[in-house]
Amino acid sequence: MFVESTDRGDGAPLDRKRARESLALLAERTRPVSSSQTRLLPVLPPLISLFPDGSLRRGSTIVVSDQAVAGGSGGNSGGGISLALALLAAASGAGSWCALVGLPGLGAVAAHDIGVDLARLAVVPRPGAAWAEVAAALVEGVDLVVLCPPFPPRPAMARRLVARARERRSILVVVPGRSGWPEPADMHLTVSAMRWDGIGAGEGYLSRRHMTVTATGRRSAVRPRRHHLWMPSATGEVADAAGVIETRP
Amino acid sequence: MTAPDMNRLLVVRCPDLLDEDEDGATLRSFVKVIDAVESYCPWVTTVRPGICSLPARGPARYFGGEGSLAQLVTDATSAITPVEVGVADGLFAAVLAAHDGLVVPAGGTPGFLARFPVGILGHPELAELLTRLGIRTLGDFAALPESHVLGRFGADGVICHMVAGGRSGELDELRQPVAGRRIDEQRSGARRNGAAGHGAAVGESGFWGGVSDTDARAARALAAVQDLIGPGSVVTARLQGGRGPAQRARFITWNARESHEDSTLGAPWPGQIPSPAPSIVHPTPLLAELADANGQPVSVSGRGLLTAVPTRLSVEKSPWSVVTAWAGPWPSDERWWSRSRRRSARMQAVTGTAAHLLLIERGRWWVEATYG
Repeated sequence: MFVESTDRGDGAPLDRKRARESLALLAERTRPVSSSQTRLLPVLPPLISLFPDGSLRRGSTIVVSDQAVAGGSGGNSGGGISLALALLAAASGAGSWCALVGLPGLGAVAAHDIGVDLARLAVVPRPGAAWAEVAAALVEGVDLVVLCPPFPPRPAMARRLVARARERRSILVVVPGRSGWPEPADMHLTVSAMRWDGIGAGEGYLSRRHMTVTATGRRSAVRPRRHHLWMPSATGEVADAAGVIETRP
Repeated sequence: MTAPDMNRLLVVRCPDLLDEDEDGATLRSFVKVIDAVESYCPWVTTVRPGICSLPARGPARYFGGEGSLAQLVTDATSAITPVEVGVADGLFAAVLAAHDGLVVPAGGTPGFLARFPVGILGHPELAELLTRLGIRTLGDFAALPESHVLGRFGADGVICHMVAGGRSGELDELRQPVAGRRIDEQRSGARRNGAAGHGAAVGESGFWGGVSDTDARAARALAAVQDLIGPGSVVTARLQGGRGPAQRARFITWNARESHEDSTLGAPWPGQIPSPAPSIVHPTPLLAELADANGQPVSVSGRGLLTAVPTRLSVEKSPWSVVTAWAGPWPSDERWWSRSRRRSARMQAVTGTAAHLLLIERGRWWVEATYG
C-alpha cells in the first residue's frame, strides 16, 4: 500500500541491536554538562553584577519580588517571571536541568528568547495543594527550581523546603507574588521602575521594558546592588540598560 | 528561510474519527489509536481529533525504514478504525501524504505539494486572487519570489507561500490544541486509573539513547513528581510556527526516554505580533472589558479599527485600571478548515506597569497573554 520511491537515507532494514547502537551514538551529544561538584552556576552577562560571586550559588534560595499590581489585573504581570526565567538561561545552556512549578501559562517563546534551553526545562504548571512536596521532590535532582506557590506558604513548609534545597545543593528561586515568602532567603531580587517603550496612544507596539533590579542578601551579599536592565529587550533577551536614567522614583 | 518545523513526520489520519460525536465514542476510539501507535513510538502528538503525528526519523531507523514503520503503524491500528498513514516533511504535507497513503521521500516534499490546487491552503480569498492571476497550483505559487508575495499578499500570504513551497508545515488551525489537550487529559486519566508503574522505565539507560548522570538524577526527580500528582503533570515545551502566542508553542507530557529527542526544537518563525513575546500565555484566556472615557464598551469595527479611544481595562471583573498606552488592533482572520469562520483581532494594552495582549472575538475581549 505504500509507494516508497527512492528511500534515501534509510537503506536496508537494520536488526534491532545495530539500530540501538547507532541510536545510542546519535544521542551522545557533546553538550557541556554542569557537574554537581561545581559550587557555582553561571548567569547571563547582564546579570553578573547583581551577584557577589558573579554567579548563582548552589544550595541557595533566591526570592524574587515584583511589581504585581493589586486588584488582580491579570496576576504575574510584575516582571518577576521574566527575571526568574532569565536566571535559568545561562545554567540551562550549560546543561543544568531546570524546573518551573506553579505557573499555569508559561510563554515558551519568551523563555526561549530570553535564553532558556527548553529541552532542559520541565514544567509542572498545576501542582495544586501538593506544591511543596512537588518542589521538594524536584530539588532532589534538578539544579534550578523556580517556584510560584499557588497558595500562601506556611512558615514551617517554607523552612523545610529551603533546608532541603541547601542539603541537595539545588537553587530554589521563589516568585511568591502577593502572598509573600515567610522565610529569610539568601538573596532577594526586587523589581522596580518598570516602563514599556515603543507603545503610545494607539501607535507602535511593545518593544522593550526597562526595569531596575535591586539585590540584597545575607553574608557576602549584604550590600544592596542595583542594576538597570532591558528585560525583555526588543529581541526578547536581557540587555544592560546602565545608561538609563530613571524617570520615576 | 525554512521554518524549524520541517521534520520528517508520520501522520495517522482516521477518516471516520475526524468529527466528534456527542457520546464521545469517536474520541475514545481515537484514544485507542494513539495508545496503539505509542506502543511503538513514545512521542505521539495529537494534531486534532482523528489526526495524530510522530517524528519519523528515530523510529524509522529502528524499524527498518519509513515504509516499514508506516506499515507497522497501519497494522497496529487498522483493527480499531480505518486509518490512512503517510510520511513527509512538515505537518501540512504529512497530512496530505496520509490522505494519499504515501511515503514522500526526504527532500521530495516540494515536488509532492506542487501538483495540489491553491485552494488546498484553505484561504479562499488568496486562492481566488491567485487563480485570477493564473496561478493555480502550489507549485506555481511557490515559484513566485518571496519579495513579491509580501507586498502583494501580506503576512498571511507569506506563511501560505512558505507552506506551498514545502518550507514550513504549520498553518493556523491545522492543529486544534484545545481538542488535543482534552484528548491528552482523557488518556492520562485512563492511565492514572490503571496506573502500572511507569517509573520503572526511567532508571534504565534510555531506549533511544544513553542517559548521563545529570539526566538520570533529573529523570528520577521528575518521575517522583509524576508518581505524586500524575503522569500528565510534568510537561516540556516545543516551539513551532503559528501566529498567536498560544499557537507558537506546544506542551507535551514529559517522558524520560524522549528527553534527548530535542530535534523539533528551533527558533520559531515570527508570529503576528512583533518580538518580544509575552512570558505568560493564559491557558484559558481571561475575560476582559475595555471601555472609553464615558464608560462605553470599546469594540473593533468591520474595517478593523477601534470604535473609541480605550481608557479603562478590567480583567476578570476586577476594578478598572487606567489604560496608559495601547497599540493595534491587528485583525486576524482565522479561516482554516474549521467550519466556524471566526473574525478576531489582537491589540496590546498597558495599564501602568502591566502589559497585556488582548484578543477580541465575536465582540468580546479576552486577555490572551501577559508580558509578565
